[in-house]
Parts: sequence; structure tokens; C-alpha cells
Amino acid sequence: MIFDSYEAFRAVNFTAKVCILGSGPAGTTIARKLGAAGIPVVVLEAGSREFSDDSQDFYRGVTVGDPYFDLDITRLRFMGGSSNHWAGWCRVLDSQDFEAKAWAPDTGWPLGCADIEPYLPEVQDILELPDFRPDVPISDDIRWVQLIKSPAVRFGEKFADELDRSRNVAVVLSTYATELTGDGKRVIAAKLWSNGQDAGFFTADYFIVCTGGLENSRLLLWSNQRSNGGVVPKATALGRYWMEHPTFEGGNAILADYSAFEVDATNEAFFSPTPAAMERLEIMNFGIRLIQTPYPGIKSLIADLACTAPEMAEWVSYQLSQNLRCAAQLYVAWEQAPLASNQIRLSKTDVDPAGVPRIELHWKKSELERRTLLEGLRLFGTTLVRKDLGRVRIADWLANGGDYPTNEELAGHHHMGGTRMGTDVTKSVVDANSKVHGMDNLYVGGSSVFCTSGECNPTTTIVALACRLGDHLSKVIGA
Amino acid sequence: MSFFTKKISRRTIMQALIALPALSLFRKLPDTDPDAIVEVNGWILKRSDLT
Repeated sequence: MIFDSYEAFRAVNFTAKVCILGSGPAGTTIARKLGAAGIPVVVLEAGSREFSDDSQDFYRGVTVGDPYFDLDITRLRFMGGSSNHWAGWCRVLDSQDFEAKAWAPDTGWPLGCADIEPYLPEVQDILELPDFRPDVPISDDIRWVQLIKSPAVRFGEKFADELDRSRNVAVVLSTYATELTGDGKRVIAAKLWSNGQDAGFFTADYFIVCTGGLENSRLLLWSNQRSNGGVVPKATALGRYWMEHPTFEGGNAILADYSAFEVDATNEAFFSPTPAAMERLEIMNFGIRLIQTPYPGIKSLIADLACTAPEMAEWVSYQLSQNLRCAAQLYVAWEQAPLASNQIRLSKTDVDPAGVPRIELHWKKSELERRTLLEGLRLFGTTLVRKDLGRVRIADWLANGGDYPTNEELAGHHHMGGTRMGTDVTKSVVDANSKVHGMDNLYVGGSSVFCTSGECNPTTTIVALACRLGDHLSKVIGA
Repeated sequence: MSFFTKKISRRTIMQALIALPALSLFRKLPDTDPDAIVEVNGWILKRSDLT
């Protein structure tokens, strides 16, 4: 069932066991799982069926630190959530992403890749993915990795009919849960705002917060403040360890030999470091996106090379005559070191139309990440030399220690951390089952539970974790 | 004549000067491995690329 307003929902007699906040990939996946298990669920979606400027305005906020996207642009507030502007790139976190890195504090998850692997067939079905391919090592340092470019499932569109037909799932649109009330052991109710005014409280036995990688922290911070710690009793880490995937063009490459890898249908290939290389250099994970450049784009690159290595430039020119696929841009996205100082705070001066403080995002890239970017390109360049596959040129700003460019992508619109998973209650918010520490009936879904970000796009892992949480709750509630 | 030239003959000085170039044989020579990786102007190259 889908209701376009809270008023329409109240007109029917539907008692929910579980209340899910948010209808993005995590919320919708958990709702479908619980509904299929016969558990009555209400999904409260703050936005409507379509994009609107008025709804997006609730997401405005400020960023302190490094340049970042406007917070009302980097996510979407309507049915299906941010899947509505997702590019569809899919890959699960690497198995080593779940392990602690001795050289990077506060890394490591309380679960492993093996805990989500059983859910991957289900994820493939939801996201319409082909089979996952194992990574292909092209040297001791570099792996050619698979990044599936999927049809980019819009969860609101794909599952609208199914949810509308469901007798166990009620999706209630334009209904904003402004806060949760709790007594330090249980969430009692969600306070609602609908049709421009307070709409009372909604009660359920279980609550699952799936409002996105920024909004989850905002809602819980505000709820906790209002209920004097009654919603997140162990709140030291709440809002902290927020992460993105910074993304910059780090250089170019001249390629003569494609025997070690293939480019995809959009002339791209992706590379990451081996675990041994990361450990040896004490760097984070990263992904190099190699984008083939059309033939004219290589001329300036060869001219530049000719100044440094004339014979090499001649060799490249010869290769050009044999093979036109030979120049590439190298974009690098990398894993951020999880830092408590990168955090979501509540604004002290600015509130949204419902009176909830807006987000103040504190975010800076670290020196470890800068070294990851530079050493990563050196690793890739060295691999191309050793294998005689081509040559890499590192961008001047990076090679010369300059500032990050401000006219590039900046990051991936991937909002991770803030309610991270863990066993240490001073450094995490939820346990390995995504249950908030100290609370009996409050869970969190989505990438805010990520302990580390890895190098890949988060949606595949978000959906896998949502399938896992859906199964877990089905057992807990059904028992 | 200075103290230096009083004590050391002209022949000895000349022999020492002639021997100077040979000392370079004992210096540590730069790495000339043609396959060594070098970074020049941002390019990651083999040393042999530069010849």
C-alpha cells in the first residue's frame, strides 16, 4: 500500500510492528524483506513521489573544512531516496576492507565479507547485476577490478507496484519523522510532521532509521538531544567518523598494450592495490579509473613526453600508428581514513521548516589520503612500466605538492559513517546487527553504519547489509 | 718559497695531480640499471626511456 499523505494512512486501520524511516535502497529492501516474512511494516518517507524544491530545502546545510557539494544537492528527498540520482556503479567492498589496517587507526569491522556474501545473489536480483567477476592481478601491486555499470535501479520506480499491492507494507509519503523519543532502552515513538504541521506521534515495536548517510546522524543527534540521551545512550561516536570517496584526476597514461586487462563498453577500466601493496606502503585502498582518451587527446601528452624522453615518445608514436587505443585519463577515488573529527553536527543557528537543526558537516582530507593518492599512481605507473603496458604521468598539482583542484568532481556523493558499526561503544553507534548500542528496538540501515569506506561505490554493500538486517529482524521479530 | 713547496717536491705535486682522475674510480657510481624506475617531470619511466 502506498499513501500520499499521513492523513490518508490514518484513515485505514493498519497496525505496524516495524516503522522504517526512509524509502531509499536500505529502507525499501528491509521493508520488502519484512513484508515477505509476513511482518507488518510502515515506511515513512519525508518526500513525495517526485522531486520538489520545497522538499529538497529540508536538506540544506553547511560544510566546514574542505570544499564539498551543497548538502541539498548531494542527496534526494523523495520516494526511492538517493537511488534517484545514482549512477548505477556496483561493486561490493573488498574482503580486506573489513579487516583492521595496523597503520590506520579505527579501521576494521565487527563482521567480515563472508557475513554478507550469502546475500549477494539477492543483491544481484534487486540491482539487476550480472555475476561478479574475481579481481585479476596484473602485478604484485595492482589488481584489475570489476565495477559493474548496472541499469541504476530507482527503488521508488522499480518497487512502487509491488509495494502498492503489498498487504504487509504501507509506504506513507510526505511524512517526516522529525525526532524519535526514547527512554534509554527503547524508542517509544516517532514524532511526525506532515502537511506543514505537527502530526502527532507514531508508535511501533521496532524502529529502523534509513534516512541516508547524512540524515541518519542528524535525526539521531537531534532525537538524543531532545530526549537527554534516551535514543542513543552511548553517543560518543554519534555523527563521527564520517567518510566520502574523494575523487580527482591524478594524471594521464599512454597505453600500448591491453593484454593484461580490457576496457568496458564505455572505454573504462578500474584498478586497485593488492592488500600486500597497501600494507607495504601503509596506504588506504583506492580505485584508479582509466578512461580512454580519443586519439587527438594524446598529442599534447606525447609532446610533453618528448621533452623528457624523446626516444620513448618516438616509441609511443610508433605504437600509435599500430594501435589507436593508447591514451587515458586517470581518475583516482580513495578510501578515507576514518577520523572522529570528520563529523556531522547540528547547526546552532539554522533550522529546517519543521524546526529541526540543519547539518553542519565538518570534513577534511588527511595527509594519509594524500599519500595514498600519490603512491597509488606511482604503484600503477610502476606496474605499467614493469609490464611494458605503457607509461603514466602524474598531474603537476599532485607531483609538485599543490592544492587539490577545486574545479573537479571532489567526491563521489557517497555518505558513509556517522553511526558506524563496532564493538567499542566509544567508537561506534551500532553493533554487528546494526542495532544501536544499549537500545532494544532501534536499528540503523544504510551506509552510515560503514566502519570504513573501501574504494568502491557503496550501494551494493548497502543493499547486501539491508538484506542481512531484514533476515535478522525477521528472525528476531518472528521468534 | 712557501712552507708547502719547500717540503714537497714539484715532481710529487705533479704526480698527485695526474692521479686525481683515477680517484673517481673509487666513487660510488650512479645506478645505471636500464630497467630502474625513475620519475622525471611527473612521468614514471624506465631509465632506458631517457637514453
